[in-house]
Amino acid sequence: MTSPKRLSQEHQRSLELRLKAGDEHALGELFDLVAPWILGSVLHILHDEDEAEEVVSDVFVQVWRHIHQHDAGRGPLMPWILSIARNRSLDALRRRRRWWRKSAHLEQAHAVDVGAIPPAAPHEAAVPGWPVHREVHAALAALSEEQRRVVLLSYFEGLSHGEIAQRLNQPLGTVKTRLRTAHQRLTESLGHLRDWAE
Amino acid sequence: MTDWLGMLAAPRNPRPDLKGRVLARALAPRRRRGGPLAAAALITLAGGGGGGAWWAYRTIDALTAQRAVLAARVQALEDTVATFIHGPATRLIQIPVSTGGRVGSVTIFADSARHRWLVRCDGLAPNAHDQAYQLWFITERGMSTAAVMPMDEDRPMVMALEMPPGGVLGAAMSIEPRAGSASPSGPMVFHRLL
Repeated sequence: MTSPKRLSQEHQRSLELRLKAGDEHALGELFDLVAPWILGSVLHILHDEDEAEEVVSDVFVQVWRHIHQHDAGRGPLMPWILSIARNRSLDALRRRRRWWRKSAHLEQAHAVDVGAIPPAAPHEAAVPGWPVHREVHAALAALSEEQRRVVLLSYFEGLSHGEIAQRLNQPLGTVKTRLRTAHQRLTESLGHLRDWAE
Repeated sequence: MTDWLGMLAAPRNPRPDLKGRVLARALAPRRRRGGPLAAAALITLAGGGGGGAWWAYRTIDALTAQRAVLAARVQALEDTVATFIHGPATRLIQIPVSTGGRVGSVTIFADSARHRWLVRCDGLAPNAHDQAYQLWFITERGMSTAAVMPMDEDRPMVMALEMPPGGVLGAAMSIEPRAGSASPSGPMVFHRLL
């Protein structure tokens, strides 16, 4: 695992400013710090290492070319990068002709609950982002099983409300209510996070 | 807040070559689609006012976006530079250099509080196609690379650098192969203890 580094808020802000200033070294630094998390997230959606690396590459190219679109006043850098990674991953997933077959396969292979995404091993705890990783796990574990299931189907498989309802054989209104409630609870639980490596 | 869910998955170390591939792709000059000649040809083919209006719309749109990007970069640079210049722990070192028969300078704003350097190079001669300038930190353990700077154009270069742990005794710059060297092997541009 990447050698541990401690990151201050100031360092993170400096990194962002350097990226905005076109400092190429800053992009290398950003890669060292966040690529393991981005790759982990993308891989969890795509389950294909080669394709995941392609998406990670797309993500960093987009971050580098469009860093000026990130408004630091509206939120930290890492969730912005994670949202790019998720969108890119879901785009890749949708492009696959094997989508439905893969989706059915994934559903069998991975139970849709927190246990399907175990926290990283303890030796990885020194990686920047580890505390956030644990907090996200805890926030998700605090949801009811039904809420957790719809959140994971929505986030990691990119299913629409209707598709989730169909998959779980639940009324659409129930799915929407569970998602709304889950998002409210996650917002309350994770609202204090100011960035990914505090 | 739900964007944080991406942190749910365990981190996964990328294969060693991925970083190089990503940086090469991100930093490669962007291919420009079309261009003035292509646009002119398109207008000729379209042959109508509609084509001209479309071209004008696209051009204005592209220039507006370009201006926004440049404004953001200037703003970020101003922020970075102001942080260095006004920092109470910032030390200014200006080093005259001579490259390719011309006189230039390397200016270092060394911020010992944040352990960062802002380095500005002015008047350096462009490199040969297979060479690059390489900046070195002089430390107690010897020279460690700070940055490899291929310079193909005659323009100033500004970069921010993190200082290595353990402190820096000085700086040096040499001319090295394009990919950089593990230790200085080419002609020395300057060598300066701070």
